[in-house]
Amino acid sequence: MPDIEELLKAMHDEVVSFNEEGVREATAAFNAAEYDPLRGILDGLAAGMNTVGRLFKDQEYFVPEVLLCAEAMNAGVELLKPRMRGAEVKSEGTVVLGTVQGDVHDIGKNLVKMMLEVGGFTVHDLGANVPHERFVEEVLRTDADLVGISAMMTTTMMGMKTVIPMIKAGKPGVGVLVGGAPVTHQIAAMFKADGYTQSAADIVAEAKRVMAATRRAAPACCCQR
Amino acid sequence: MSKQLLIDAIHGRTTPKAPWFPYAGVNSAFNIKEKAEDYLRDPRLIAKGVAQTAKRYRADGFPLLFDLSVEANAVGCELRWWADNVPSVVTHPCSKMQTPRELGLKVPTQESGRWPVVLEAGRLAKPELDAQDCVLVGLYCGPLTLASHLAGVRIFTDTYKNKAFAHEVLAFADEVGAASAKFYADLGCEVIGIVDPVASQVKSETFAEFVAPYAQKGIEVIHKAGATSIFLICGDCTKVMENVCTIGTHGFAIDEQLNLGFVRDMALKHGVGFAGNLKLTMALSLGLISPREDTLVSLAAGGTRGFVLAAGCDLPYDVPAESIDQVMEARDWYYENYTPYPDAK
Repeated sequence: MPDIEELLKAMHDEVVSFNEEGVREATAAFNAAEYDPLRGILDGLAAGMNTVGRLFKDQEYFVPEVLLCAEAMNAGVELLKPRMRGAEVKSEGTVVLGTVQGDVHDIGKNLVKMMLEVGGFTVHDLGANVPHERFVEEVLRTDADLVGISAMMTTTMMGMKTVIPMIKAGKPGVGVLVGGAPVTHQIAAMFKADGYTQSAADIVAEAKRVMAATRRAAPACCCQR
Repeated sequence: MSKQLLIDAIHGRTTPKAPWFPYAGVNSAFNIKEKAEDYLRDPRLIAKGVAQTAKRYRADGFPLLFDLSVEANAVGCELRWWADNVPSVVTHPCSKMQTPRELGLKVPTQESGRWPVVLEAGRLAKPELDAQDCVLVGLYCGPLTLASHLAGVRIFTDTYKNKAFAHEVLAFADEVGAASAKFYADLGCEVIGIVDPVASQVKSETFAEFVAPYAQKGIEVIHKAGATSIFLICGDCTKVMENVCTIGTHGFAIDEQLNLGFVRDMALKHGVGFAGNLKLTMALSLGLISPREDTLVSLAAGGTRGFVLAAGCDLPYDVPAESIDQVMEARDWYYENYTPYPDAK
């Protein structure tokens, strides 16, 4: 039987090399050996995407390469999924995600979605060009823990200033993360967002930090006292 | 205001002071108290906004529009309109890997899409700007951005997976760009810019294969018309700066994400002009940094050889005119109080 560490490394490396066929072969071998599929996702495919995120941040990889790596990873996930049925996978939290009204750019938002899903979050993706009210509706419908709002243009980024108070009025205690090319730490703070990352590569850590912070800040319910 | 100052700087020449080129697209609508949608549909409003805002901002050059949806719409992409922004492109005809040729898409004429409105606005605005000695600048959508309008996000992965398809879409984008360049040249625009914001999202090799070759037809049209060319790119384009400097335009423009000292040195090395990079977000829009200080820093870093003082990108709709006033005051103060660089003599 092939060694599990070797197979995980192969899955990782083929994701980083955006070799879809290579990912399928390594994942098929992993399946044939009947190793834990969750480990295959987390320590093989998702670990590969973490490396990709770092390469993106360091400007070794750009948008085309990252998208291709994501496609390769998804090819592996599809092979592992059937063996995951029934397995207990605890969600890290629920996130509503979208690009702000007026902005049709969704590449960054899609990268964030992928990283969050790989990181164990349940993501409700509203897509691009999302009217402000839709964010509020979806947060209430899904009882989301977090909202992620993206903007690629300075012109549309200003919409964040409007939608963030709407979301917080709709569900006090929800954590709001913002990102996109024109957004900075200072702007995120000015717009009263709870979290910000410059790169999609850091989104999982930031989402976990905001989740913990907002939970600490939330008033305890009478049944929890 | 001085046309020649702007033209000389874009060509990389030494100028007595850096020309000022504010990219006020829909911000011109805000300045005349019109919604962006109403403004962009009415040539008289565009001409009024351009003439009044160029005068208010004491610009050496001013764009007729800063709207990258014009080309996409003229070849069949549908738009969604906004009160405070340019329209969004919401359909992508080539997204199912059909080439423009297979879909029968046509290179626009002056009657296609929104071009009649744009060109009429240009005809009305041109004499007004001439009277101010301000260049009416024509800006059109660059090849990779237009290809992403046509094919959607898949164009990025197609640069690896379906190269022939990506080349076909980009070749069509080049022809569309050349048509736009011709329309602006015929209008008498002395400066014509190719705006390709997403070109910063690819590596140098991809830029060399899929961006630079498909900007050439437009550049040729501009240069044959005797006009000045400039390539505008957004975002952190550090890794493609060599490509940008050598694309074949007289100059280029970058945004606030780049260090102006680095950009200046690259431009000087290649003998081209460079425009930038006032902090659109932090200074002009939100006032987190003083626009006055930002202007002084830019002028000191940019120098007077080939440098154009410009906003990093299109001014958002409701940027207050007071922010721009601060830029102009700082520029006046700088040239009154500081001697030019030795190389400016």
